[in-house]
Amino acid sequence: MKKVFINIALVLIGFLIYFLQANFFKWFTIAGIKPNLFVIYVLFIGLFGNGCMGMAYGAGWGIILDLIFEERIGINLFGLALIGIIATIFDKNFSKDSRITIMFMVFGSTIIFEVITYFMNYILYAANIEILNFVGILIIEVIYNILITIIIYPLIQKFGYYIENEYKGSRILTKYF
Amino acid sequence: MYRNKKSGMLGIIITIVILILIVIFSNSESNTSFFENAANKLVMPIQNGLVYLKNKISGNSTFFTDINNLKTENKELKEENSQLEQSLRELENIKTENETLKEYLGLTEKYGEYKTVPGYVINRDISNYSKIIIINIGKNDGIEENMTVIADEGLVGHVISVTDDTAKVRTIIDTSSSISCLMSTNKDSIVCKGTLNSNSEIKAMYIPTDADLVQGDTVETSGLGGIYPKGIHVGTVKKIVSSKNITDRYALVETAVDFNRLNTVLVVKNN
Repeated sequence: MKKVFINIALVLIGFLIYFLQANFFKWFTIAGIKPNLFVIYVLFIGLFGNGCMGMAYGAGWGIILDLIFEERIGINLFGLALIGIIATIFDKNFSKDSRITIMFMVFGSTIIFEVITYFMNYILYAANIEILNFVGILIIEVIYNILITIIIYPLIQKFGYYIENEYKGSRILTKYF
Repeated sequence: MYRNKKSGMLGIIITIVILILIVIFSNSESNTSFFENAANKLVMPIQNGLVYLKNKISGNSTFFTDINNLKTENKELKEENSQLEQSLRELENIKTENETLKEYLGLTEKYGEYKTVPGYVINRDISNYSKIIIINIGKNDGIEENMTVIADEGLVGHVISVTDDTAKVRTIIDTSSSISCLMSTNKDSIVCKGTLNSNSEIKAMYIPTDADLVQGDTVETSGLGGIYPKGIHVGTVKKIVSSKNITDRYALVETAVDFNRLNTVLVVKNN
């Protein structure tokens, strides 16, 4: 039953993030650049959830975003699902207790997601490649994502460990002993 | 990372303050006036209060005389004020409705030769790299893929996909957008493409080597490509960037449409 509530809460958080991204962060920008909250969202589900949870949520929200904003389904679906898989790998190899580690994870995930989606855009829609402009936007976006992570980290950590206890409670200790 | 909860909270508060400051400074056009405003807002209420007190104590002898009359008058004024506010709200609603209808009428008159359907922009892409907009008309209103979308000032883009009640529009400033255009004076053919770093400029490329580009010249659609009809205003040449090789030169075209404030559009039904 608890797992059902956790999943309902995660879906509702996803919708909250969508509306924040589509409304609040339209004007709360750094030099016109918005953060990408969905990368942080999928990364944390992948880190604290069980093996395929990050990938499933990433794929789910990726399809929704593709349906709303893209001409074809695929770019966000692939990008966010990949972030879910990467988060699971991070979980197996790094500690989630350190804020610095989490910041590096957000740094890496944002770069991976944006580079992949940008080049998929180039392949699928023949978009112009503007490396310098892209890097400039990406740097600001990464900094923005890291700042948001620092702010919401205590909340995420609390809810994250609650999810982790529910999904892999018996297996946590085996990682350290 | 933090040793105790207090320093953790302090870190979060500092980060929030830094984030808000970065957002304000990176988006404000004039930082000096921002400081002036902030300083004024900090000091002026107290200053006004002090001046008010000084005036009352030193010069106005009737201040304490008829306080009951003042209270009654104040109550009446408050009631009147709320009535006026109500009327103002109603008038503002009527004004907005009137403006929208005028905008529709103006658009329809301007593009009278085309059969058009008016619509509103209801959503914009959440990504930093794509400039797709979503409008509130779809299949039920007769909208189909590849229809041209225009606004009062000029070309907006074309429909890329449609649902029953909405349509996705790839704007001309999107990096995947490419439009065949003509310079209005000498009818030279160019191709205009969207750029990543601007919502108000597009890049005019493949300029013929013998073409005479003039700053301020207007650019319009050529009708080639099968999506956009001929003669729709795209923008004006803002800057010509020359290079050693004349075939590599390009121009920056300022779009006629202000995409940051775009709300009302028309979808051209018959190309």
